[in-house]
Amino acid sequence: MSVEVKNVTKKFGNFTALDNVNLKVESGELVALLGPSGSGKTTLLRVVAGLEFPDAGNAQVLFYGEDVTTIPASQRKAGFAFQHYALFRHLNVFENIAFGLRVRPKLKRPGEEKIRARVGELLKLIQLEPLAKRFPSQLSGGQRQRVALARALAVEPKVLLLDEPFGALDAKVRRELRRWLRKLHDEIHITTLFVTHDQEEALEVADRVAILRDGRIEQIGTPEEIYDNPATPFVYDFLGNVNLFSGRVREGTVIIGETEFAVEETAGETDTDAVAFVRPHDIRITREANGQKTFPARILRCNAAGPLANLELERLDGGGNFAAQLSKEEFQQLQPKAGEQVFVELKNVKIFSDDFSI
Amino acid sequence: MVEQPLQRNQPGMIDDAKINAPRRMSEPPFVRRLLIAVALGFIALFLVVPLVSVFAEALRQGLGFYFQTLRDPMTVSAIELTLIAAGISVPLNCLFGVAAAWTIAKFDFPGKNILLTLIDLPFSISPVISGMIYVLIFGAQGWFGPWLIEHNIRIIFAVPGIVLATMFVTFPFVARELIPLMQAQGRTEEEAARVLGANGWQTFWRVTLPNIKWGLLYGVILCNARAMGEFGAVSVVSGRIQGQTNTIPLHVQILYENNNIPGAFAVASLLTLLALVTLALKTWVEYNTTGLRGTAFTPLPLKKEPNRKLA
Repeated sequence: MSVEVKNVTKKFGNFTALDNVNLKVESGELVALLGPSGSGKTTLLRVVAGLEFPDAGNAQVLFYGEDVTTIPASQRKAGFAFQHYALFRHLNVFENIAFGLRVRPKLKRPGEEKIRARVGELLKLIQLEPLAKRFPSQLSGGQRQRVALARALAVEPKVLLLDEPFGALDAKVRRELRRWLRKLHDEIHITTLFVTHDQEEALEVADRVAILRDGRIEQIGTPEEIYDNPATPFVYDFLGNVNLFSGRVREGTVIIGETEFAVEETAGETDTDAVAFVRPHDIRITREANGQKTFPARILRCNAAGPLANLELERLDGGGNFAAQLSKEEFQQLQPKAGEQVFVELKNVKIFSDDFSI
Repeated sequence: MVEQPLQRNQPGMIDDAKINAPRRMSEPPFVRRLLIAVALGFIALFLVVPLVSVFAEALRQGLGFYFQTLRDPMTVSAIELTLIAAGISVPLNCLFGVAAAWTIAKFDFPGKNILLTLIDLPFSISPVISGMIYVLIFGAQGWFGPWLIEHNIRIIFAVPGIVLATMFVTFPFVARELIPLMQAQGRTEEEAARVLGANGWQTFWRVTLPNIKWGLLYGVILCNARAMGEFGAVSVVSGRIQGQTNTIPLHVQILYENNNIPGAFAVASLLTLLALVTLALKTWVEYNTTGLRGTAFTPLPLKKEPNRKLA
């Protein structure tokens, strides 16, 4: 019981938007498609909706086992919320939501009373009951997005597809709405696939996250899995800020400058060049070397606004700049100043030996 | 979640421009007055005076003569023919315009730019040439001339020729109006309708048509004004047989040539009235599309207006 995409390739002229993609969304699951622009995430969503068709080959789109590859969008029973909402501007909120019910073939069309009841239910769900008579142009962005969601849900879709659902909203509304979406999903448990380029959004809302790059799925897993065990440098970089230190790998350690740091796991190579990945919050800064494995650096800038303090540092051995993140307490204890020389300790160093490129 | 609904005048709404417009200009008062006087004088001289003179000349010999001229069988026949020509060409061009705009705005296909250019063709060639084309094709010496004569079908110097010439000249109005509008609106609303289960027909009637209705009306009004006022192309194909192939503009010309000046102005006043009605309708449509009703995201692009006010 799932929505499944098999061997889907889609080219636009010379551009390969999707390159043999396979994806399975379990029933009731909320999966995020995360990737930079041009990575093919929206195209994949449109293929599932039936708004684009995969290139010839053995591509398949399955809704709960039923092959819908050649079925047009109008008969797939997918709910789609567009990036810019695409509300019908000449219809009010009520009629927008009722649209999917009103265009049903005569035999399957519910009566006026049933339509009213269903739309009323949805208006309650999106908390916009008083605005039923408003036109889309009289709503705020967040309200429009909720109407678009209700409109998609009205036809009782087999799968809900959301294209950058919060992309066009300001930060505060965005956070509210994504919490609301998660809550909504926990209530109605509809199989949902949503596209985003915001890693924070994907990690917060989704049950599983699929990371796309150049039309391929780079990695798929729960937010913890992909954040803690990124499969590739691309995923590592995409999920948060990261520092790169070039060095040499030797038997479970990496040598950066003249200092050896322990590495979580290596691919078994010995004595090869490698790039070490370290998150800014895995960098410790001290005034004394204290016999720990550290290397010296100079602080270039400090920014302590917000719950975390961000520091920019420069390696004294000429290895380049990097960023560090301290908690407020650490920052107040240490009281670092720009221009000061400190010692740097690295934790959770990750090595990708075969492919350094991001 | 508490959110205030957007009121008018918030960012992104149409009224922005008005609010941000500078209240006071920097030029000294006498420059402003001079400029206004020049502009008003110009309008008075070239627009108001001719407009008034049309009605003044038309009524010079009194209301009795005026209505007598309009009741003249030749005039009535010209009015009828004009209504027939406009009555056929406007609906057909309306259908064509919607179909062409839909095709161009909502689909990608090879040859799209060529089609766009071809639609503009009637604008870019002289109406006389447009008429000549039909004479060359359907006239006695034309390509299909002998075949048509053999089968006793008359196109040139007959009503079908006038309708064809009118259609050709008014061909771009509706399409030209709708293409930029539909392109600006994009395809997502239609896509939304399709995903919601609407078939092609339902999508057109319930989503596309309501979104373009004001633009369509605007195009139809301009198309109609041109169809009724067209002189050049129709004059070539009509042969000006009084009572048979004379339209209003041609009839005005004939009356004028026969030195019936008040008669010519009386008939011309009909076209002038049409122009005034067209202007009023146009203003009303623009009023409805520039956001005063609150539903327009994409106000109509203001374009040059190709119809002629006076025949």
